[in-house]
Amino acid sequence: MTIEVEQLSKSFSTGRAKRRTLVEAVRDISFSVEAGERLAYIGPNGAGKSTSIKMLTGILRPDSGAASVLGITPWTHRKQLARRIGTLFGQRSQLWFELTSLQSFRMLGAIFDMSDLQLATRVGELGELLDATEVFAMPVRNLSLGQRMRCELAACMLHEPEILFLDEPTIGLDLLGKQLFRDLVIRLNEERGTTILLTSHDVADIESVANRVIVINHGSVIYDDDVEVMRRSLFTTKRVEVGLERPVIVPEIAGAQLVEHTETVARFVVDTSKRSIRDVVDAILEHLPVADLSIVDPPLDEVIGAIYSQLAVE
Amino acid sequence: MQRTLAERGGFIVSTGFYLAVVAVVGSLWRAAADGKGGTIAGYGAASLFWYIAATEAATVSLNMRLIDDIGTDISGGAIASEMLRPVSLVAVRMASEFGRALPRLTTCTLAGAVMSWIIVGAPPGLVSAAMTVVALALAIGCNIAAQHAFAAIAFWIRDARSAWFLYQKLVFVLGGMLLPIEVLPGPLRLVARLLPFVSMAYIPGRFAAGHVEPLLLLQQVGWLVALLAIALRIFATGERRLQVVGG
Amino acid sequence: MRSLTATMRSAFAEAWSNRSGFWLQVSIMIVNDLVWVVFWVLFFREAGSVRGWDTQQVLMLQAILTTGGGIVLGFFNNARRLGQLAADGALDATLVLPVPTLPHLLVRRVETTNLGDLIFGVALFVIGCDPTWSRIAIYLAGSLISVITLTGFLVAIGSLSFFFGRNEAGELGFHAMVMFAMYPVDVFTGPGRAVLYSVIPAAFIASVPAKLAESFDLGMALGMIGAAVVFATVGYTMFTLGLRRYTSGSAWTRA
Repeated sequence: MTIEVEQLSKSFSTGRAKRRTLVEAVRDISFSVEAGERLAYIGPNGAGKSTSIKMLTGILRPDSGAASVLGITPWTHRKQLARRIGTLFGQRSQLWFELTSLQSFRMLGAIFDMSDLQLATRVGELGELLDATEVFAMPVRNLSLGQRMRCELAACMLHEPEILFLDEPTIGLDLLGKQLFRDLVIRLNEERGTTILLTSHDVADIESVANRVIVINHGSVIYDDDVEVMRRSLFTTKRVEVGLERPVIVPEIAGAQLVEHTETVARFVVDTSKRSIRDVVDAILEHLPVADLSIVDPPLDEVIGAIYSQLAVE
Repeated sequence: MQRTLAERGGFIVSTGFYLAVVAVVGSLWRAAADGKGGTIAGYGAASLFWYIAATEAATVSLNMRLIDDIGTDISGGAIASEMLRPVSLVAVRMASEFGRALPRLTTCTLAGAVMSWIIVGAPPGLVSAAMTVVALALAIGCNIAAQHAFAAIAFWIRDARSAWFLYQKLVFVLGGMLLPIEVLPGPLRLVARLLPFVSMAYIPGRFAAGHVEPLLLLQQVGWLVALLAIALRIFATGERRLQVVGG
Repeated sequence: MRSLTATMRSAFAEAWSNRSGFWLQVSIMIVNDLVWVVFWVLFFREAGSVRGWDTQQVLMLQAILTTGGGIVLGFFNNARRLGQLAADGALDATLVLPVPTLPHLLVRRVETTNLGDLIFGVALFVIGCDPTWSRIAIYLAGSLISVITLTGFLVAIGSLSFFFGRNEAGELGFHAMVMFAMYPVDVFTGPGRAVLYSVIPAAFIASVPAKLAESFDLGMALGMIGAAVVFATVGYTMFTLGLRRYTSGSAWTRA
């Protein structure tokens, strides 16, 4: 096992002096990860994702429980572990803002005891892999967010880590940027066998990157299974939004459930395991004066809500 | 609620720092006078302590970042929007700044007086003590007017911060904030007397040290009027410029 | 060691490329320091000497204070910002690196404008402090020790924010330190004086080495070294203990 977590808990005290209350950020979570897995660790904001990752990288100490990452207890041997893992926190940069990424890499190379030759070779490889050789030579201040994320990714991979912890890596990226980033992560994993642990609240990140999903909410693990399994049960739900040219009475459309209807908009929920989205859309186009139509994934809180209700049923 | 608490905390801390500075610098001068047989430049040991208590109260009661703030408002466009109101903008600003400084001035003056009384005994004179209070208020007025005049250079140049800094140092040395200007060497003393900065620190200090010199109050009033006129004038010019170039 | 020099080099390059108005800022620092020299010269011209202090000795105090303070705020600028960083949860980027945390943090930020103080301190010593060999030795040793004591003190009070979650104590301590270190310690009497030799070790930052330059006293010198050792230890210990309670910004941004 690459990562083993047993009944990990962590609380924070919040509020001002007199009204201090304890918030349980993470409560008794347990799971394990095998080498080479691509694990998505998901949940709504404040669910405890970051807190978990920060414990696994040794930044935070848990109140109770145990964890072992590459056979090391993170918070007692943080620096030892740091040599073997890479971390990318979407909101915290490892790069110097005014300098070029190459300059930052030079500092990191020294920190990870790399020789000049090793570093140059590695930067060359990463430049090719990330298609960022020129971007590396530009001051970080001048980079677009997508370019910056590629540099951040290079920074956390310089020392060839065995595990990559990516905390909200796609936050703020545009659609294309997200897709590029996802492809990269998959390639890293497939070519080098790097274990990936990724947090996100973007359903698409999970669908396209991960092969396994852990859902956490209110500090507890509420779902842990292969993405395929989850897809079959949950990602079969789509939402179809139809802009109407004029007010109409919406007829029954097989396989689609009308959830909202105004003079200008009709919203449906479609279970694609019962009727294909194509058939449903065809039916809608045929029966309604469509001005505009979009198909979207249900937002993550709905997915989690669905998981909850399923758990309740079972 | 939290905000007022934090503000009250800041108030207490700044008063504490005021008292500490007065205690240190006051003690320094008192020790110096004691070493010289009791007087320095005509001031007795106790008088010097009261002098420092007054000059410090006159200077720390102001919003320290006033010049900075005005500069930011000018370059940030806040002034431009205020200009739409049908009153003299700078007059309103100066009046509200004066109102804001008064509670701090009162607190510092009272705390400083109590501490001085305990450490070096009663103030050197009753009449002069009463005049100190008037002089303190005038000093604040002069300071605010001068700071607005100084800050208005932000209409022309971007960096008002350096102006603020220079200004502070002028009050520090030529205004007599930490040392009575009688201590300055001859030519410099003359220059100091001719400049407005003495109205902002030295004059209330002089009264607090027990001197009854009503002409000094007149000097303060004169400078207050002059500085107000200058501030209004510079702002008017600056505003016109802002309208021309479109801010 | 290699990682520290590399970090420092980056910090320097970062500060240097962000130096808008650099010379203006440095001149402002120098003018500020110069005004204090003017004050002291005028003061002692009038007073002669006060409690054993005269112009030359107080200039030595200023030289050591600006040199030591300039080094700490210039090269170890995070010593002053530590409390804020801890309260904001801004230590993550350092904690995921295999480096000694505190030293790395300290050199991670350079503030070029504070180097104005350093330049001033050296110049003042060379021009105004009669640099004989023995005085040079005391100036260098005194500055070094004041760097250690000041850094230790700033780290210690900054670390309080690990425990309280806010950094008011740190800011307050910093300002008190700067204010009290500026004056000859013998101006203070009674309990105030005792505080400056202990809790807020302002006496050891500049007054004590300046006194040693005038008349060397072994006990005093050992006391000064002792204070540096104590504050370095206290700072390091408080930081290490505090780090265990580090919340990475989670506790204070939630709810």
